[in-house]
Amino acid sequence: MRWTSRNLDTIGAALLTHAELVAAALALALLIALPLGLLVARRPGLRTALLGSASILYSLPTLALFALLVPVLGLGFAPALLALVTYAVPVLLRALLAGLASVPPAVVDAAEGMGLTHRQRLFRVELPLALPALLGGLRVASVTLVSAATVAAYISAGGLGTLILSGLDQGHTEKILVGAGLVTLLALLIDGTLGALQRRLPASG
Amino acid sequence: MRRRLLLGALAAHGLPFSPARAAPLLRVGSKNFTEQLVVAELFAQALERAGATVQRRVNLGGTAIAQQALLAGEIDLYPEYTGTGLGVVLRQPPQGDAAEVLAKVRAGYAPLGLDWLDPSGIDNGNALLVLPETARRHGLATLSDLARAAPQLTLAAGNEFADRADGLPGLRRVYGMEFRRFRQFAALGLRYAALNHGQADVVNAYATDWQIATYGFTTLRDDRRLWPPYQLAAVVRQQALRDFPGLAPPLLAIGARLDNAVMQELNRQVDQDGDEPREVAARFLKRQGLA
Repeated sequence: MRWTSRNLDTIGAALLTHAELVAAALALALLIALPLGLLVARRPGLRTALLGSASILYSLPTLALFALLVPVLGLGFAPALLALVTYAVPVLLRALLAGLASVPPAVVDAAEGMGLTHRQRLFRVELPLALPALLGGLRVASVTLVSAATVAAYISAGGLGTLILSGLDQGHTEKILVGAGLVTLLALLIDGTLGALQRRLPASG
Repeated sequence: MRRRLLLGALAAHGLPFSPARAAPLLRVGSKNFTEQLVVAELFAQALERAGATVQRRVNLGGTAIAQQALLAGEIDLYPEYTGTGLGVVLRQPPQGDAAEVLAKVRAGYAPLGLDWLDPSGIDNGNALLVLPETARRHGLATLSDLARAAPQLTLAAGNEFADRADGLPGLRRVYGMEFRRFRQFAALGLRYAALNHGQADVVNAYATDWQIATYGFTTLRDDRRLWPPYQLAAVVRQQALRDFPGLAPPLLAIGARLDNAVMQELNRQVDQDGDEPREVAARFLKRQGLA
């Protein structure tokens, strides 16, 4: 553990950057996916088109995406964030739309019968019922992002990927273990927190 | 006030970056393997020593990303190999001797606003290695010698070597080389293990791999020039050279002290000893009287 004890500041900085990247990407992805999802939920044509283009975005190879983004966004945090957002938005969109689709038509009818407006129905009935599915999507997206954020190292954006990738290149097992171990811990931590939140939701019980 | 005193003191020492205003900010890049990280650290520390403020944007994930970063002005310089610049960036056939390849990359990069400084003594090209005992037994010094013995020998190489124009097909075309057996090893470390344990007689490698010096492998000379030179040099934005006339001399001073043997040892200190590139670079500069 000689390397670890001598490089605690480097490791701490990598962990912090990694967590920041994931948190920022999740927040931004939610801000994009929520309104988009609500917009297309009742428009099947738009919905298909949006999910299709989201899937294409999701399947773009990250390195290729980076080479394309560097002339526009430069190196560092911004292009890494954008790449991660393109990973998270499709997951969140699918989860939200699946959640909204799972609301029983009878419940929607009842809400309509009670005289709720479109907006009231959405916020008081449909979204709360879709929330467990959305949270599930958030869990999947966050765990995906924690591991995907390792590629940020390719564009000098820091994070735990820097340790893993240089460890692989140098055959430096300790570096790889520290980097990969912290990625796993971070993923478990976020997943556990969101899981606890999900279990405490009244709608899920 | 204290800051001004400090700047005055620096100016009195005649540092190349006149600190009349703020210290210039230079962004040093590198690709993501050991040698690149070490050389980028050498450049960065030498520039800091010369009075510049240096931002490290290292570990970039490949030639394409490093090149895009240079063009976008996101980095001011990074170490690159002439053969890579010619083949990968300019997409020209990587052929010619060292002077020709350097002239071609300089001509090709100039319209992009980029300069190649004079190369270091490093030429990190392709290499075929054998154990000294194998070289003795078959009388091997060059690839032409190897071509004669190849039908009795096993080659271990990376996945891409079987298909790359400068891999097996090139060896066949230029030297008429046919091995008894070809074994694929994706990881370089495994290839060295195979050589040491007699599972392969010949392996492909890169000329500055630290294992060559440490294990005492014999590098066979490419006497019919199948492979282009891969001289290491700093590629620098012309704008940065204009803005900071003191930029080139420290980089050239480092390049003049680097050759394949030195680089093998610096790579070894990172890959085998587990030292960080910045530590290795600092030690080297100190020993060379550059720090």
